[in-house]
Amino acid sequence: MNKKWRGIVEQCVLISAVFLVFLLAFEDQIVVPVWLQSFGRLHPLVLHFPIVLLVLLMAWEFFRFNREASPWIDTAEQWVSDAWIVGATLTGMTTIFGLFLSKESGYSGDTLFWHKWTAVSLFIVFSGTYWLRNLSFYHKLNSRLLIGLISVLLISTGHFGSELTHGDGFVLEPFQQGKQIYLEDALVFEHMINPILQNKCVSCHNPEKKKGELDLSSKEGILKGGKSGKLFVTGKPEISLLLERIHLPLEDKKHMPISGQPQLTDEEKMILALWIKGNATFTKKVLELPVTDSLRIIGNTLFNSVLDEATNYDFSEASQETIDELTNEYRTIAKLAKNSPALRVHIFNKNEFNSKKLEELVAIKKQIVFLSVAKMPVKDSDLLTIAQFENLERLELNFSNITAKGLLALKTLTHLKSISLSGTQMNYLDLQVAMQGLKKLQAIYLWDTPLTADDLKALSAKFKTVQIIGGFKDDGKNPLKLNPPELRNTSTIFDTEAPLTLFHTIKGVEIRYTMDGTPIDSVKSAIFDGKVKINSNTRIRARAFKAGWIGSDEAVFEYYKCAITPDSVTVVLPLNRVHKANGPKSFFDRDLGTFSANAPAWANFWTGVRNNDMELNLNFKTPKTISIVSLRIMEELTTGIFPPQSIEIWGKTSANGPFKRIHIMKVPVPKETRFHELYAIDVKFKPTLFSEMKIIAKPLEKIPQWHGAKDKRALLLVDEIFLN
Amino acid sequence: MEKEILEHGLNFNRRRFLSTMSLGLGSVALGSLMIPGLLNGGDREESGLTPGIPHFAPKAKRVIYLFQNGAPSQLETFDYKPKLCEMYGMDLPPSVRGEQRLTGMTANQATFPLAASFANFKQYGKSGTWISDIMPYTSKIVDDICVVRSMYTEAINHDPALTFLQTGSQQGNRPSMGAWLSYGLGNENKNLPDFTVLLSRGIGNGQGVYSKLWSNGFLDSIHQGVQFSKGEDPVLYIKDPAGMARGERREMLDQLAQLNQMSYEEFGDPEITAKVKQYEMAYRMQTAVPEVMDLSKESDDIVKLYGPDCLVPGTFAANCLLARKLSENGVRFVQLYHQGWDQHGNLPFEIKSQAKDVDQASAALVTDLKQRGLLDETLVIWGGEFGRTSYSQGKLTPENYGRDHHPRCFSIWMAGGGIKPGMVYGETDELGYNIIKNPVHVHDFQATVLHTLGLNHEKLIFKHLGRRYRLTDISGKVVRDILS
Repeated sequence: MNKKWRGIVEQCVLISAVFLVFLLAFEDQIVVPVWLQSFGRLHPLVLHFPIVLLVLLMAWEFFRFNREASPWIDTAEQWVSDAWIVGATLTGMTTIFGLFLSKESGYSGDTLFWHKWTAVSLFIVFSGTYWLRNLSFYHKLNSRLLIGLISVLLISTGHFGSELTHGDGFVLEPFQQGKQIYLEDALVFEHMINPILQNKCVSCHNPEKKKGELDLSSKEGILKGGKSGKLFVTGKPEISLLLERIHLPLEDKKHMPISGQPQLTDEEKMILALWIKGNATFTKKVLELPVTDSLRIIGNTLFNSVLDEATNYDFSEASQETIDELTNEYRTIAKLAKNSPALRVHIFNKNEFNSKKLEELVAIKKQIVFLSVAKMPVKDSDLLTIAQFENLERLELNFSNITAKGLLALKTLTHLKSISLSGTQMNYLDLQVAMQGLKKLQAIYLWDTPLTADDLKALSAKFKTVQIIGGFKDDGKNPLKLNPPELRNTSTIFDTEAPLTLFHTIKGVEIRYTMDGTPIDSVKSAIFDGKVKINSNTRIRARAFKAGWIGSDEAVFEYYKCAITPDSVTVVLPLNRVHKANGPKSFFDRDLGTFSANAPAWANFWTGVRNNDMELNLNFKTPKTISIVSLRIMEELTTGIFPPQSIEIWGKTSANGPFKRIHIMKVPVPKETRFHELYAIDVKFKPTLFSEMKIIAKPLEKIPQWHGAKDKRALLLVDEIFLN
Repeated sequence: MEKEILEHGLNFNRRRFLSTMSLGLGSVALGSLMIPGLLNGGDREESGLTPGIPHFAPKAKRVIYLFQNGAPSQLETFDYKPKLCEMYGMDLPPSVRGEQRLTGMTANQATFPLAASFANFKQYGKSGTWISDIMPYTSKIVDDICVVRSMYTEAINHDPALTFLQTGSQQGNRPSMGAWLSYGLGNENKNLPDFTVLLSRGIGNGQGVYSKLWSNGFLDSIHQGVQFSKGEDPVLYIKDPAGMARGERREMLDQLAQLNQMSYEEFGDPEITAKVKQYEMAYRMQTAVPEVMDLSKESDDIVKLYGPDCLVPGTFAANCLLARKLSENGVRFVQLYHQGWDQHGNLPFEIKSQAKDVDQASAALVTDLKQRGLLDETLVIWGGEFGRTSYSQGKLTPENYGRDHHPRCFSIWMAGGGIKPGMVYGETDELGYNIIKNPVHVHDFQATVLHTLGLNHEKLIFKHLGRRYRLTDISGKVVRDILS
């Protein structure tokens, strides 16, 4: 190598070093562009060159100080020096490629960490040695130390690298036992029963030890039984010796495994019992058991399905351009996962749907593994298009317009595992023919189709490996109770007249009601026809009825007449701090309060006083004749909310005149506790002309003796006032 | 915005710097080609994520989270503790609690009398799962669900616990689980939001839910949860104003988009593009939403399956039915909250009523998804924010008692997409106080949920204010034992 070339190669090593340091410093943020990924993937190829070169160079270098000088040696030294710097370049390249490769998914963890850092160290030490090896301190001992270091680094790097590609313990693997069992391969005895026996029983019951003359290590031994007889009666776990011993109390001498040894878990006991119950098979696979078999269900939870991992497809990726072109607001196309060529397609909006929307997908027919066209007006002819999506695994056709005959077209879909046909017009005969064409089918969804329960049973019997899912159909055996009718009015307070607006959310419900306070009779009470008008205070009671349902609870609605509304209201004495509601506006806002302290209607609508009277001034711009004042109150005696002890009505006939007491009404104090209620207290007096009215409602001063809070002041809550 | 300006300046400097450097640093320039983050501040590339593409093949494509807000007692629902009957009324042995803290509501109680469940338990299904008799419908679907009895959390009060479960942090301001999914997986249906929220409440003692629970946090605002309310306008402000035809609306949006594009070019604020996207989404939602929200076409069987309340807007049953419809139409994450599970007192009465509200509809949702073949690709989650104490808060009488907050263990169930059916995971001690087997931390739960959706929780990252954030913060491991 002439000087120029040597210089270039040395520069290469330096550049590699700087580049490498940079890459390592920003490693977390690096994303390798696609065109560089290929270089990364060359790493497993390129790495062989430096390895071979380095091994040879180390061997040469080891004996360097043992050799006599000679011209031949000098020439060779020249070559070695060149090889050394080339080796350094190759090591650098390999390391950088390796870093690129490590950025692709699938590499992580401690092994990678060690592989990377041993490689980087190797590169630095080896390249450094190139410059050091001609300095004076580089004599026999130092050179051998460096050679030793380089060799250790080389071997470690290689070792960690091979672990990355071939897995941990690859070399020693033939000596190791135990590998992951997939659900598809799992055998009932081998993988569910035997491990329990091996772990908990065989240490005593083996051919060498044979406690109780029992050997549980082989099928023959298990079938033969021991000193006390056969281990089990197939199909009859309840009289099987094996289970009896397991279930004996731990203190019992005959309990197995003997006290002090690891005991069987509940699940293990259950598995053994189910195995014996299911005729103690030694040969069946877990997946050969019926879908609903308990042992299979447990097996499902014990083993992972090999299909779960199957993200590797052998078809190529569709171009991003094609995908983007086909994607629109009503057709979503998405990759199954990063690095997967498989696509999911979801089509929405039936108004936008036509056959073309499916035909266009032929451009990606290989890649579609999932297609949902549920609720789209898909016809049988469209299934011919779908039949071209050769790798389709799951198809959602719920509530589409296809028929069972049309499904025959799908027999080309040899990967189809699951198909949803709920809400479609299926019939048994055509469907079972079509299903015979779907060899890989695992699940079929047939809810809300004309198929009867018997049809579904017949399908289950015919297609044992397919889950036939029917779903919920009301058989009328467990009728539900209807919810009570509701009222459409926003407020039940009216000036002169209001329509009665009962309704029910369930179609075909009959609402019966009374307006005189009598309870509902499911036959005799009037049926609501939507034409009723209310023109006085009325308590409506109503219930809903419908065939196939239990009649609803009663709903009660109070209609209140309030013919006159004051022009302004003043609260003279303060309301309780927590019962201010909406202040003076609360009394005529036509919003009624409710009980539930959680509902906004509680906090917002109830005004309350306890320590002073509720005193209100109502003003009328033009004087009004009034003869009834009603206060709607809450009564909840248990929590100390009582009706007022008295209500006084004062009035002025003209703005300047004095207030005159028109009426005082004593309200009877409840004699015993009773169920809580909301009601209006009417204060009636002879018709009087008011330009201003004062209402004074006095909260009960002393709660009566029968109450837990006797002698305390009661709370008075008012939500509305009605003037008539 | 400031970030973008700074970024612009840095880019300029970086380029100048690199272009003046030679040989050795030339390789750095080559290297910088491989660091997208260095030049454009993108975070998606860093998380190894392209929108709409999971990290690996997912089992579940969508989530429906039936959040039982207020924290239902595990001892009356899914965690059967016969020992509590034996020790009824006895004081909780101090050794069980050790040094663990109590909430302010019972910390001053003189005694901690153990309270057995008033409800009876039986084993159901092939899996023989113990379920209480206040959940008669759920007991029928035990073979489709996986009950996790060993959940635990760090928070001791509702709001932080709820925020923790939803965002992975107790303090808030982080993206909610639904927002993370929207960010990680993108749209399935471009005509509906990725993340929707439905609220309901029972008569039990309730606790608030706030919109911060469906916040996008620092993620782009298109990932925010959209609340669907029960009235005539399920999505507020979506209708065209009176007198505006749909065609005019279209033209207006087109013009507006042009103006927005101009201002984007000027300022480069990504929120401007987000806004344009939201306008467009809202436009398409105008036709998609009414169709999804229309319950009038549901068959009698469906009404009987979910129960009569399912047609009454604003009930949990109606929300379950809507959740199915939204999910069926490709909404990635449907979040329900049912309030009223905070039974500090009066537990037997209130919890029965709460259970009645949700039991039938929750089970119906699983059945309904299953019969449409959607359960395999939909993950349904049912549970609250923490558990409740095995001792009574307040006076313990045969008829009445209460239970305080208990973060040390609680039960949830999951069903569908990627979760093993007919399984019980984890175990608590005889008194239902501490976990003795297979504990599942909130972050473990979140990591598992993301895993079923094909997302690696350690790779679903967003860089914000100089720090990389994850739903699972700095912990969480996938609970592989419950994956199918």
